[in-house]
Amino acid sequence: MTDKQKNIRNFSIIAHIDHGKSTLADRILEYSNAVAKREMEEQLLDNMDLEKERGITIKARAVRINYKHKDGEEYVLNLIDTPGHVDFNYEVSRSLTACEGALLVVDSTQGIEAQTLANAYLAVDCDLEIVPVINKIDLPSADVDRVRNEIEDVIGIVAEDCPAVSAKVGLNIDQVLDAIIEKIPAPKGDPNAPLKCLIFDSHYNSYLGVVVYVRVMDGTLKAGDTIRLMSTGARYDVVEVGHLNAFGLEKAETISAGEVGYITASIKTVSETRVGDTVTLDSNPTDAPLKGFKEALPMVFSGIYPADGARYNDLRDALEKLKLNDAALSFEPETSIALGFGFRCGFLGLLHMEIIQERLEREFNLDLITTAPSVIYKIEKTNGETIMVDNPSNYPASDTIKTAYEPVVKTSIITPTDFVGGIMDLCQDRRGTFKDMKYLDSSRVELHYIMPLNEIVYDFFDALKSRSKGYASLDYELAGYEASNLVKLDFLLNGEIVDALTFIVHTEKAYTRARKIAEKLKDNISRQLFEIPIQAAIGSKVIARETVKALRKDVLAKCYGGDITRKKKLLEKQKEGKKKMRRLGSVEVTPEAFMAVLKLDDSEK
Amino acid sequence: MKRLGLYIHIPFCQKKCNYCDFYSLTCINRLSEYICAISKQIENDSPLYKDYEIDTVFIGGGTPSLVLPKDFNSLVNSIKNNLNLTQGCEFSLEANPGTLTKEKLIAYKNAGVNRLSMGLQSTNENELKMLGRIHTLDDFEESFRLARECGFDNISVDLMYSLPNQTKKDFIKSLKDVISYNPEHISSYLLKIEKNTYFGKIENSLSLPDDDEQYNTYILMCELLEKNGYMQYEISNFAKKGYESNHNKRYWLSEEYVGIGPSAHSYFNGKRYSYKSNLEEYLSELSQAGTVKKIYEAENDEFEAQITKSDEYLMLKLRLSDGINQNEYFSRFGEELLEKYPKLKSYVSLGYMKLKDNSYSFTPKGFFVSNYILTDILSFGQNS
Repeated sequence: MTDKQKNIRNFSIIAHIDHGKSTLADRILEYSNAVAKREMEEQLLDNMDLEKERGITIKARAVRINYKHKDGEEYVLNLIDTPGHVDFNYEVSRSLTACEGALLVVDSTQGIEAQTLANAYLAVDCDLEIVPVINKIDLPSADVDRVRNEIEDVIGIVAEDCPAVSAKVGLNIDQVLDAIIEKIPAPKGDPNAPLKCLIFDSHYNSYLGVVVYVRVMDGTLKAGDTIRLMSTGARYDVVEVGHLNAFGLEKAETISAGEVGYITASIKTVSETRVGDTVTLDSNPTDAPLKGFKEALPMVFSGIYPADGARYNDLRDALEKLKLNDAALSFEPETSIALGFGFRCGFLGLLHMEIIQERLEREFNLDLITTAPSVIYKIEKTNGETIMVDNPSNYPASDTIKTAYEPVVKTSIITPTDFVGGIMDLCQDRRGTFKDMKYLDSSRVELHYIMPLNEIVYDFFDALKSRSKGYASLDYELAGYEASNLVKLDFLLNGEIVDALTFIVHTEKAYTRARKIAEKLKDNISRQLFEIPIQAAIGSKVIARETVKALRKDVLAKCYGGDITRKKKLLEKQKEGKKKMRRLGSVEVTPEAFMAVLKLDDSEK
Repeated sequence: MKRLGLYIHIPFCQKKCNYCDFYSLTCINRLSEYICAISKQIENDSPLYKDYEIDTVFIGGGTPSLVLPKDFNSLVNSIKNNLNLTQGCEFSLEANPGTLTKEKLIAYKNAGVNRLSMGLQSTNENELKMLGRIHTLDDFEESFRLARECGFDNISVDLMYSLPNQTKKDFIKSLKDVISYNPEHISSYLLKIEKNTYFGKIENSLSLPDDDEQYNTYILMCELLEKNGYMQYEISNFAKKGYESNHNKRYWLSEEYVGIGPSAHSYFNGKRYSYKSNLEEYLSELSQAGTVKKIYEAENDEFEAQITKSDEYLMLKLRLSDGINQNEYFSRFGEELLEKYPKLKSYVSLGYMKLKDNSYSFTPKGFFVSNYILTDILSFGQNS
């Protein structure tokens, strides 16, 4: 270990959502004076508006902190922030690989939750030193001892003398800094060995191109070097290297083994710099890349359309811009008879999908119509061909299918024991296969199920929350494909199939779902001059039917004393509403109708 | 000479009805002061109208029949002395049962009123109570008899349908009762629950007939009235031959009119304007400046720009059973009706409109969904 390395600590903070990870990061920065208190903006690491608002960290960020410890030594602390949600597990694992230790933040009023466990196991897999931090001890319902025991019993790490803090009010933050320096090992690695850097994040900057965040494992890198990305073999000339301080990039001569820093090399898109990839020197490459690189593959798909068809190009531009910073987002043009021109987008998971949709609407001021989320089905056809289907309307006719497979996930749910019954019913209802159940303590249980992802993307999270008064937490990871008895369910308005409403469902579920959606459609389609039949069909067999009755009457505003303004306003308002309508054959449908069928949870509570 | 209609708003009622959202107040003690002020206003404004002939006068409210004979005469004198009324000028007055006396009726008659519009709304006592009317059926019968006695030979009766808890049968009973009085004109309006009314406040507890029931009632009503010699000439108005309300029609014929009083609307010199719904401000402006600030629609209304002149013409004219004459449209706008509004045709084949004597008009079935159809037909400033 070099002298330089001796005083470096690379660490992450991991936690379940809302346990106070970002607040703790703020306090660490503040305490170590990296940021003067008055310049402190709440949750500095989360610099997207959306992150602040939702209190979640979407993209990993890193910051370098210079800290003078009570032993008189100057230390460099590299805090690598990780996303806290199940959708971004792979990114979390890459961030962790860049560290030697992790602070595991646990809310003293809640205890261990599903993502606490998932993240802790990831950290264990990466051989990290885990330092538990019990947070929110200022709250009256804090139970530090119970949580300490839980950490020891459930995760099996010593928590006896771990810091108990309140990040919110800044209590005992010094103990956290002590623990980082005293418990987390300094990095190793040979600065003279062939270069080996791990990419743990990157972002697009319009002046610099892609800024690649790396942890140098071995070797030394400087501006002017030619680097090679080992997964693709692509070469780039390094323009700049440096460190990441709280306010941005700080140029440096070199970055070397043990350090965390950035590289710019006129790279045009983040998709060229895959998280988990290894950077080496073209002239003196390392013989083996770092283990564990994989491409983040989308698991959830949805059609995204502009509510106003004329804004298709704006939507495309917006998606391209988001893609610059989000390699996991995929999109390709698709056309729907019902919705016009749009894109089939792929996401890591439901949260990722929601975030993208929200950013499109908020940052790019777009009104969207989105179709129900779908997963990728694998179909073995009778002609021997195997196809992958990510858009339900492309699902082949049943007589051409030999076997259909759907993705399943390993699901872990942690819940207070009171709700176990309801949650087991829910999982059963969602075609879950029970694996096991573990008591975390006398009041909380961890349930394991294997479940079709198709059921999870369909409102599962909302249903889980409503059955547990919000207390149950969920984590899942992909566990391969299983053969399944699936059917394609079509909806017809006035006899014509509305492609945007088509979805794939398990045979046993088809009937109830068809009925529910038909009812929803009925409630959300306004009356027109003719009767509109709504039908749900599997192939040519109609399994549910509703009718929107013909409009017989509308508002007859009394125009008294020659006051015709009211009537004008009424007509104008109706016209505005009509402009937003989608025309499906002869039927006009509001965008709200498409969206309403995506949310059925109210009828499932 | 150009023609003009005159509307006078009397914004006073003994009691506000439960459904009514027109501008009216219950401080009847201000009535005399108000009549005095608007009589003066008519005098002050009269130079504006010197090139016009007034061929319809409508005194509405509120409850104009609350005005005492002495005040009524000074109002009418101001009208007659300052404006040019035509020989056969239609002169309507809204008169509410319960407020009429023989003395008043004689005064109205002598002042030149030749048409009475009586607000009955229902012949069912429970319904009258529920609506918050101040009169009983007996009051109406007495008023109607008196009016005939005093020589009124052009009387209109107002009805409302689709009242809370009202069945089709209930309404048809009221309608048949009204027909039996044999008035010359019947107005029958669909109850619309307005926000700022008592009904608006208790809307959720009201049990209103559903759309289909309302539609069936309307269609049956149109048939029954026609059978009894009342021809539909407007969406909600029916009259015996020769007794259509010219004043009412002029709104839909895009003919000009001037309204006096708070909340009154005018269409004058090609411009639409109104006065604010505030009696105090109205009176104080009148006493200080001798005139009242006009609120012009074009300046205050973003919709003006969207609904074009020809849209407005269609919207108004289609309120009338005669509808839109293609030749008249062409001479007015210099373009073929069907070229501008090609969708009209399709509604004929669907039975919502008819084409008769070169005119497009709504059928009763079409009247009842006319806003929906107009929204589809009108151009809203877009070229077809």
